[in-house]
Amino acid sequence: MTEHTTTAAAFRATLARDLLIAYKRKNDIVNPFMFFLIVATLFPIGISPDPQRLGEIAAGVLWISALLAAMLSMDNLYRADYEDGSLEQLLLSPHPLYFMVLAKNISHWLVSGLPVVLASPLIAYMLNLPADAYFALFMTLLLGTPVLSLLGSIGVALTVGLGSRGLILAVITLPMSVPVLIAGTMAVQQTHNGAPLTGYLAILGAMLLVSITLAPLASAAALRISIN
Amino acid sequence: MWQWFFKLGSPKWFYELSGKWLPWLVAAMSLLLVIGITWALLFVPPDYQQGNTIRIMYIHVPFASISLAFFPLMAVAGTITLVWRMKLADMVAKTAAPLGAWFTALALISGSIWGSDIWGTWWIWDGRLTSMLLQFFLLVGVISLRSALEDTDAAAKACAVLSIVGCINVFVIKYSVDWWNTLHQPSSPIGMAGDSANGPEIWVPLVIMIVAVYLFFAVSLILSTRNEILQRERRSKWVQELLASA
Amino acid sequence: MLAALQFSSIGEFFQMGGYAFNVWTVYVLFLLFFFVNLYFPLIRKKQIIRELKRRLILRNEVPANKHD
Repeated sequence: MTEHTTTAAAFRATLARDLLIAYKRKNDIVNPFMFFLIVATLFPIGISPDPQRLGEIAAGVLWISALLAAMLSMDNLYRADYEDGSLEQLLLSPHPLYFMVLAKNISHWLVSGLPVVLASPLIAYMLNLPADAYFALFMTLLLGTPVLSLLGSIGVALTVGLGSRGLILAVITLPMSVPVLIAGTMAVQQTHNGAPLTGYLAILGAMLLVSITLAPLASAAALRISIN
Repeated sequence: MWQWFFKLGSPKWFYELSGKWLPWLVAAMSLLLVIGITWALLFVPPDYQQGNTIRIMYIHVPFASISLAFFPLMAVAGTITLVWRMKLADMVAKTAAPLGAWFTALALISGSIWGSDIWGTWWIWDGRLTSMLLQFFLLVGVISLRSALEDTDAAAKACAVLSIVGCINVFVIKYSVDWWNTLHQPSSPIGMAGDSANGPEIWVPLVIMIVAVYLFFAVSLILSTRNEILQRERRSKWVQELLASA
Repeated sequence: MLAALQFSSIGEFFQMGGYAFNVWTVYVLFLLFFFVNLYFPLIRKKQIIRELKRRLILRNEVPANKHD
């Protein structure tokens, strides 16, 4: 490194690099999205095609599908970088690891979370979600899925060195995402019952802010432990 | 004061001290348990609503209250592991996780048995039961992470991070589940027992049982931690000497 | 003290006013858990000491056998 790079530049470079890799691979973008669609399709088949019943559970179905899709796509977050050694480079860089981890989490969300959020109204329509709940669902997913990426990142960072992870990632991360799931689905249900949405959005926004500040710190610490 | 703190971190010192304390702890625990159980089973008057099922409270409440202490304990031990690299803290954290899972499981089982009469079913998505179940899952996560990582040092630090994150999470889960639950509102036996638990004939035996179960927890934790010390410190001189004299 | 007893006979005590199953399941589970939790660490300690002693003996003997 001949020139001195700023942390902001390193942050942008990490973000751009991860997005470029995802774009080149395509699977990273398509797979979580397809997984989301398929899981959401299984519910009407498994429970009932009755529009009335589907409408009642639609919010929960969408949230759980989004949660599982986030979980599934988590595996690529550090794995490829760990295998080709670029993760070690990241740890050796002079910039605070917090920002590098944050950049990776943001790119992960842009690639796997955002498509799910954007597709959610379509699936919501297919699941007969009440019309007045669309906005609530969309907004809560928009605020909630980044929290899922940030929390999941801690679990991935802790297990990145393991040869076969199996279900351990899910066992660690799924219970942690319960508060987000509760806030998200309750917002949709309660606004349908006439409660104002702003309170729920404030809670989800607070969760997002807290996890943006704390979760990358935990992920960074976990990465340092895993890579030694 | 700091000297004392670091001395406590020495496994040898802890092994010797806990060896001296154990007989007293066991004696106090046994005495309180015998008094507490006899009192709870024979002398506590039946509740006007719940009848004799109130006697389950004397097992359930101590276990439930101590189950809440495991994540804070593991988070403190984890912080000590990460900041001061104290081996003893990790040994305690390692033995606390499975113990916590067992205590939580027993709290869950006794809670569902206690509630079964009021609810008419063994399981209900009651706020306390649900957050206890999620805490159980989080503990299983810590245990499985520990067993998946082979290197002792890496496992210690990784579990420390997970315990700290888990501790924060347990509190958030507790509040969010309570909040979620107030809108679905099934009645809880603890709330109902709380209404009538005014007289000393109700709460004195409860306090005795809580102290007894805390002592039981301390004894189990010390016993397992001593085993862990022997295993990890097997190459040290004092363990070799201990073995030679044993 | 006996006046404070809540049950007038042993049979009544075991019946627990119709809640025998609930109450006794919880107490039996507790006692089981209690003894298992104290018994296993003690057994484990014996195992560890036996194992470590064997290693100690092995290590002391191996250099001696090298002369043969």
